[in-house]
Amino acid sequence: MNPMVRKELNLRMRERRGWILPTLYLTVMGATVAFAYYAVTSEVGREGIQGATVGATTFLTLSYAQLSLLLLLVPVFSAGALTIEKEQRTLGGLITSLLRPREIWEGKFSSSLLFVGLLLCTGLPIMALALSFGGVGPIELVFTVLTTLVIVATVSTFGLYFSATFRRSVHSTAVTYAAVIVLAVVTLVVFFLLYSQWTSGHRGLPDSEMPRYLRVPLYLNPYYFLTMGFGVAANISRSEWLICLAVYVSIAVSFIALTWRAIENSGEQF
Amino acid sequence: MIHVEGLKKLYSGDRGLRGFNVNIAQGELVGLVGPNGAGKTTLIKILATLLPPDSGTAQVNGLDVQSEKRAVRKLIGHMPDVPGVYQDMKVREFLLFFADAYHLPSARKRAALEDVLAWSGLGDRAETYVEHLSLGWKQRLVLAKTLLHGPTLLLLDEPATGLDPLARLELRRQLKELHRRGVTMLISSHILTDLEDICTRIVFIADGMNVGQTSPSASRTDGVDGGTTVYEIEFLSSSKPKEIIQGFPDVQVLSLAETTLRLGVTGGREQVARVVSALAAAGVGVTRVQPASALESQYQQLFGSRQ
Repeated sequence: MNPMVRKELNLRMRERRGWILPTLYLTVMGATVAFAYYAVTSEVGREGIQGATVGATTFLTLSYAQLSLLLLLVPVFSAGALTIEKEQRTLGGLITSLLRPREIWEGKFSSSLLFVGLLLCTGLPIMALALSFGGVGPIELVFTVLTTLVIVATVSTFGLYFSATFRRSVHSTAVTYAAVIVLAVVTLVVFFLLYSQWTSGHRGLPDSEMPRYLRVPLYLNPYYFLTMGFGVAANISRSEWLICLAVYVSIAVSFIALTWRAIENSGEQF
Repeated sequence: MIHVEGLKKLYSGDRGLRGFNVNIAQGELVGLVGPNGAGKTTLIKILATLLPPDSGTAQVNGLDVQSEKRAVRKLIGHMPDVPGVYQDMKVREFLLFFADAYHLPSARKRAALEDVLAWSGLGDRAETYVEHLSLGWKQRLVLAKTLLHGPTLLLLDEPATGLDPLARLELRRQLKELHRRGVTMLISSHILTDLEDICTRIVFIADGMNVGQTSPSASRTDGVDGGTTVYEIEFLSSSKPKEIIQGFPDVQVLSLAETTLRLGVTGGREQVARVVSALAAAGVGVTRVQPASALESQYQQLFGSRQ
């Protein structure tokens, strides 16, 4: 086993946040289920409502809430992973050992992602509650978890890149959050600007006629990617989901290569 | 073992190395001495494969430190000026992690671990968390870590900084023992008495360039500058000794503080005895006379005007 992976997992689970965060995460997820259930049933009235509607609404609410929570948490784990080694002056020891930059990166990435995976797994029983109402099936659950995992893994890769580039955790974390905001918010704003410009010039045409290149900002948006994941099983949005997947994997691979290089050249930073 | 020629590495503000040269043979214990910002840490970082030089040659055992990094890393042990440790690891875990990081095979790993634990005196503290160790013990731990893979060259950057006198003595003993085992060492330090005690050669560096070298054993016997020996004289604060000493043509006042006088004396101990007698006759209350460290004197002569 890669010694970095073992070290990181050992140390991560010794931290107090190793058990506090899953507890808080489950509390928020539980509260979200309760809120979604209350909102949907109080609006229509308990007698008139279909179980499938409750199930689908709860599932969607939980999926978006889970993604939002993880987008908030992932920078905390990834953006400080290498800067902490610089701050405690241990990165030089790692670089002058026989560990390759790839092994150092693997240790940091896997500890960050496995912790997020732990949160995803602990949240699964709550997600599965929605299945009991109908409206969504196990396939939707699998694609939702898979899509969420791809998104958080990609965010982790650029968090690690910023961590390898900056000297201080506070800076790399701030830049990672800024990048998350660009992905989650700015892309949507840009898309709606492009969309409104296109519709004003092409009145009467259906949205499906909109050229694909105008949707590029959407392919970067994690919520759009997740939304496309809901319809993969029913083949409603498979091609869109695959494009998003390709975009995210490409971003991740690019940042992985950049991070390995940054680690190799980080001797000047301490 | 080390071949450095025309090594350049400049930072903004014009600090760094500007064509440094040094050759260190197998088994030598070389001290690197110079003022802050002279380029000592930069040289050690380049040799440790942490920094790329701008130009010049830096080789360890014939291997280029830039193009053959991994091969060089197998040979060297590097201890930085501020050694980093994982506070929330136990001592044994810390060493095991680095044994794995050096890809030691299982059988050798166990032996190397027990060896460095015994050698460093950390055996009784193997299950202690690193955060509970004193600075001196942490230094020992980091030195033990650098020895795990059996390096033939140690690059130590200010290894004694922050240590109490006992820990410094222990470090000196350990370094001498490593030297006896045949480990080549390059040590940067400001603690000249330590270097004088353990080094086979001292290399002086200033403004990123060589400014001389000496053998501590030679400088201890010959004095400085062809027969001039530096003496430190302590006296009562109300005295004014400078005027009296100006009457001695072979005695030069190097520095005068409130109660301490440093003299460069040509003419041996008899001349010093005459100076002390003259001071006493003039009513200067001399409380202590002793020859200064030859290395300190040489350092002062080389760098005194630069600071």
